[in-house]
Amino acid sequence: MFQRVITEPFERYYEKLLEFLPGFLTSIFILIWGVVLAVVLRIAFLKFLRAVKFDKFSERFGIMGQLGKSGIKETASVLLSRMIGWVIIFIFTVVSLYALNIRVVDGLLDRFLFYLPNIFAAALILFFGYIISNFMGRAALIAAVNAGIKISNLIGKLVKLTIFIIAVTMALEQLGIGKETVVIAFTIIFGGIILALAIAFGLGGRDIVKDYVEKKAKGEEKKDDINHL
Amino acid sequence: MGNAVFRKEIQERLSEIKEADILVGIPSYNNARTIGHVVKAVQAGLAKYFPYKKSVIVNSDGGSTDGTTDVVQNTTIENFESILLRHRNRSFFKIASPYLGIPGKGSAFKTMLDIANALNAKACAVVDSDLRSITPEWIELLLKPVVRGKFDYVSPLYQRHKYDGTITNSIIYPITRALYGKRIRQPIGGDFGFSGSLAKFFLTKDVWETDVAKYGVDIWMTTTAIANNFKVCQSFLGAKIHDPKDPGADLSEMLYQVIGATFDLMEAYADRWKTVKDSEPVPTFGFWYTVGLEPISINLDKMIDKFRLGVKDLMEIWKTFLSGEIIDFLHRAEGFPKERFNIPDEIWVEIIYGFALALHKKAINKEHLLKSLTPLYIGKTASFVIETWDSDAHEVEEKIEQLCKTFEAQKPVLLEKWT
Repeated sequence: MFQRVITEPFERYYEKLLEFLPGFLTSIFILIWGVVLAVVLRIAFLKFLRAVKFDKFSERFGIMGQLGKSGIKETASVLLSRMIGWVIIFIFTVVSLYALNIRVVDGLLDRFLFYLPNIFAAALILFFGYIISNFMGRAALIAAVNAGIKISNLIGKLVKLTIFIIAVTMALEQLGIGKETVVIAFTIIFGGIILALAIAFGLGGRDIVKDYVEKKAKGEEKKDDINHL
Repeated sequence: MGNAVFRKEIQERLSEIKEADILVGIPSYNNARTIGHVVKAVQAGLAKYFPYKKSVIVNSDGGSTDGTTDVVQNTTIENFESILLRHRNRSFFKIASPYLGIPGKGSAFKTMLDIANALNAKACAVVDSDLRSITPEWIELLLKPVVRGKFDYVSPLYQRHKYDGTITNSIIYPITRALYGKRIRQPIGGDFGFSGSLAKFFLTKDVWETDVAKYGVDIWMTTTAIANNFKVCQSFLGAKIHDPKDPGADLSEMLYQVIGATFDLMEAYADRWKTVKDSEPVPTFGFWYTVGLEPISINLDKMIDKFRLGVKDLMEIWKTFLSGEIIDFLHRAEGFPKERFNIPDEIWVEIIYGFALALHKKAINKEHLLKSLTPLYIGKTASFVIETWDSDAHEVEEKIEQLCKTFEAQKPVLLEKWT
């Protein structure tokens, strides 16, 4: 009686523990390896990125400036190598969780890993969207200044924001989050902005356009005949 | 980029002509209004000064829609006796061909160089098709130093309005002189003479898909000739009066192409210009005379406004590569009243060298960098106009000379930072 009530559960627990322990130790071992590898690869990547002057490249595309503005003091190569380190730790953590051999965890991990390519694609879209939005925003700003448009800064920012919003929309679509809702919301917001701008320019700029046309018609505006070349 | 001489109609014409002593090229794009006069002046110049030479006139056109090529084909001097004492012995050949490649003046030049090479021309000249002041003497002055075998490259020297050619006066002439040590006053004048061997040398360079194919071709030809030790001179041609440039032509695009080509050449010939100290005059031909020039209308308020707008909105870009001292100055200059608006030569030279270094170190995208120079250039031009408003041509030339000396004086700083 004593054996059946007291000893057997302990024995079963002991057996289960013996069954679980190798997996658990393997899991810990994998995790430690992951951390070590992450540190080594982080340092290696940092050296490599510095050697290929990645920070200069980031500076050219305005990434460094934007990071600085957001209060991030680290250089792009430090950030990227740190990110690589965390990705390695993440991968090893997933592998170590598999090593535990728990069915529920396995199921969750399978679903998560199946979804992972979408996250990766979305992150890539956001990254390139950010770079392109900065680049195009700066191009629009310079073009507007050279055209003598007083609201150049606003134009540059609008171009940048529009491209980034498109990238965010694409990323969310990639993640499968409210596919139609996101597209519809984007269309409504973007259409609304354009309509608002059209009305604002139409009403606000009426007098300016009138003055300009009058000056042109009367030939009042002084011309520039400088031949630069 | 393709070679125009492989085209059937050109090949037929070339096999008919076989060889040429002289080739004169006229690049064009919608210049029906002026090109007839240019062709006549070229024909008269060839007849008058090179009557015994076999000459070819090549019009390389960028797809004009105003009948430019028809004007070229139909233009001829009916009665040479009215302009010549002695009758010309040999006839002219004319080739009119649309050019291949990127639309631009440089691509038109490439076609002319290919034809010159195929005909084994001994001496070549190119003249702009929008000229209103060209005379037959221009042809003599551009070709004779080459025909006599003494020079490989003849650069033009004109009398221009003090506010005509401001990119030349404030950037291209001073920097070319400081870098390569030759005082060629109009390095991007547009009208040049050069030897057949230099034409062949030009063709060995693979640059026809770059800015050289556009507005950059003039500075490329001049710099290539100097940096490769070809014998260079300049000829005084008189007044340069031409049709106003297309008002739609974008200044920032022009600056981007010309300055971009100049800075690219700095990379290509760094070993050459690093060793050059001071500058020297080049042999100059032609009879110097003074001419009256048409007045130019200038809107100073608009120019200063554009400078201020640039300082307000582009400062974040400039801060990444210009020194703190320059940035401080630009902030102060933004508030200068019109009558006291001034960008001193020292500041201007530091700005230009700063842009050259930024491109060399690839600080930001090339197009963004060079196009962001536009408001600063407009500011410097406004400053120059204010300073020289009451000055005569001689005083203006003195002012440009001072700027050149500042470029030369600050060259060691550029050298030090150019690693």
